[in-house]
Amino acid sequence: MNRNLLRLAAALAGAAAVALPAFAGAYPLQVARNVIMYMALAITWDMLLRSGQISFGIAGLFGIGAYAAVLGVLRAGMSPWLSIAFAAAFAGAASFLIGFLILRLRTMYFSIVTLALAEIFRIVIHNLPEFTGGPEGVVLEGVIMKGSASGLYWLTLGGLAVALAASWGFEKSRMHFALTAIRNNETSAKSSGIDIFRWLLVAFVVTSSIQGLLGGIYVQSYGFATPDSVFDANFTLLPLAMALLGGIHSTIGPVLGAILLGLAAEWLKLRIPYGHLVVYGIIIIVVILFMPKGLYGLARKVSGAADRRRA
Amino acid sequence: MAMKRRTTILVVLGLAAAFLVALWKPTVLIYGVQQAGLYAAIAIPMGLVLGIVHIVNLAHGEFMMVAAYATYFACRATGLDPLLAVLPSAAVTALLGWVVYKLTIRRALKAPELNQLILTFGIGILLSQGVNLLFTSQTRKISLEYVSASMTIGELSFGVWPFVFVIVATAMAVGLKLFLTRTTTGKAALAVGQNPRGAAIVGIDVDRTYGLVFALAMALVGGMGALFLTRSAIFPGVGGPFTMKSFCLVAMAGIGNIPGILGASLLLGLSESFLRAFRELRGWADIIFFVLIIVVILGRSLKGRKS
Repeated sequence: MNRNLLRLAAALAGAAAVALPAFAGAYPLQVARNVIMYMALAITWDMLLRSGQISFGIAGLFGIGAYAAVLGVLRAGMSPWLSIAFAAAFAGAASFLIGFLILRLRTMYFSIVTLALAEIFRIVIHNLPEFTGGPEGVVLEGVIMKGSASGLYWLTLGGLAVALAASWGFEKSRMHFALTAIRNNETSAKSSGIDIFRWLLVAFVVTSSIQGLLGGIYVQSYGFATPDSVFDANFTLLPLAMALLGGIHSTIGPVLGAILLGLAAEWLKLRIPYGHLVVYGIIIIVVILFMPKGLYGLARKVSGAADRRRA
Repeated sequence: MAMKRRTTILVVLGLAAAFLVALWKPTVLIYGVQQAGLYAAIAIPMGLVLGIVHIVNLAHGEFMMVAAYATYFACRATGLDPLLAVLPSAAVTALLGWVVYKLTIRRALKAPELNQLILTFGIGILLSQGVNLLFTSQTRKISLEYVSASMTIGELSFGVWPFVFVIVATAMAVGLKLFLTRTTTGKAALAVGQNPRGAAIVGIDVDRTYGLVFALAMALVGGMGALFLTRSAIFPGVGGPFTMKSFCLVAMAGIGNIPGILGASLLLGLSESFLRAFRELRGWADIIFFVLIIVVILGRSLKGRKS
């Protein structure tokens, strides 16, 4: 009964999200687009976290996807739609190469390498100015779908749908058991016959491709890319804070966190234009110390306690 | 034993690189050694924390940045030389480190390693964005005359001041070695690093030792913050790259191997300085540490698979 109710709520929320352009103005639609994009990034970050690996490389893979899309159009004459698919493929290939080299050593080594990714890609872009446009960046001739507000909104929503589908796929398939087993105890996972390296590589490549895809969508919606705009630390920081606040190791947690923080972020950006990121630093610290399962975990604990009292 | 061998390999590689570079262009050697000193002096405290408290402090460079900012404003207000601020700055950052340890890190030590990484990442963001919020992202610098002092040997002319980093790094390595092997507190810290539970059983206060070691490491980084300010401009993001490079050096040396960090720094400093000698390759110098991390990880995972 409860589960059916949840499904109904999810279907209603989905329908409302699709129908939003019919009754929202340009500004709310723009805000919604931001929230949706960060939500998708938060979900992909959490998907990898379920295996016990922390990636600080969201901005790096997002940015590399963005550049792949722009350069695909400008240098290889791709259509905007094809370039978005190319962004996903390119980020996937990059993450396969990196993951193949480093995923045999995990946790802190993996985290530090991903932390460096945005900086490394940025250096590469800076140093190949003829091809990449260098520090000034590159501009596309136009925005995808001629910049139609509802079109761009639906495109971003499509990116979220991919992330949600992948996340549910992870939850419902063997992937879920493999990743959870690896997170809980690598030794026992290994002795149950799980090929840790292979599963982690798959998870890393899938999540990175989606991050690249979102980078492609982002850049096609704005029509330009500079190293500072697409490798912005925001793209790592916000999704991380959102997933942590909402509750990690689930799909619903990052979704909740993204709605809460995404709306708060818009307000904060207006109030404190410089340094509003400090708020996310504080959120990350407080959540890790006092409610490591996030709001969703807290809600479950409270409702669980209430159930027990009733019984 | 493995540590010793690794240190020897790193030192031999570093010296071989130094020799080759010296034959080719002596200034490249000098700048490389100076840069290596800076890297080592910042990485050694991280090695200390990683070796004994067993956490990767992703806010490492940010602590240095905060110390540099504190020094900057103190010197601006009083007209003091940043060099005189090295010790006060160390004291202030030690206190800050101790407070941060007591309030946050201590609580996360029992949690999975993941939480510690996210926690120190959050602390780093809080520090760098806090400074950004208070003082904007404008770069700041104190100009000092003695920094531009130079020396000429034959046809060779170079700046002398950055050699102070080499001296400080060496002093840190020697001092920590003596501290960890000769003093009671140091021996206790080493014991805690090797086996916290065993150390607790023989009556060592593990929590106090962790706090002490963390504060000591932050004091060293804080002193470096003041020293860094004598030569370089500072801005809120100035510490970030040092966190990653420090980790790279600690990983190259092997966790718990402080003298090895000197050798690793020499290798990184010289390779960067080598690339910077070519106009077309200059921009790629900052990518070397990443390549080194990947090589280290690869080497270690291949060795792990063999055994």
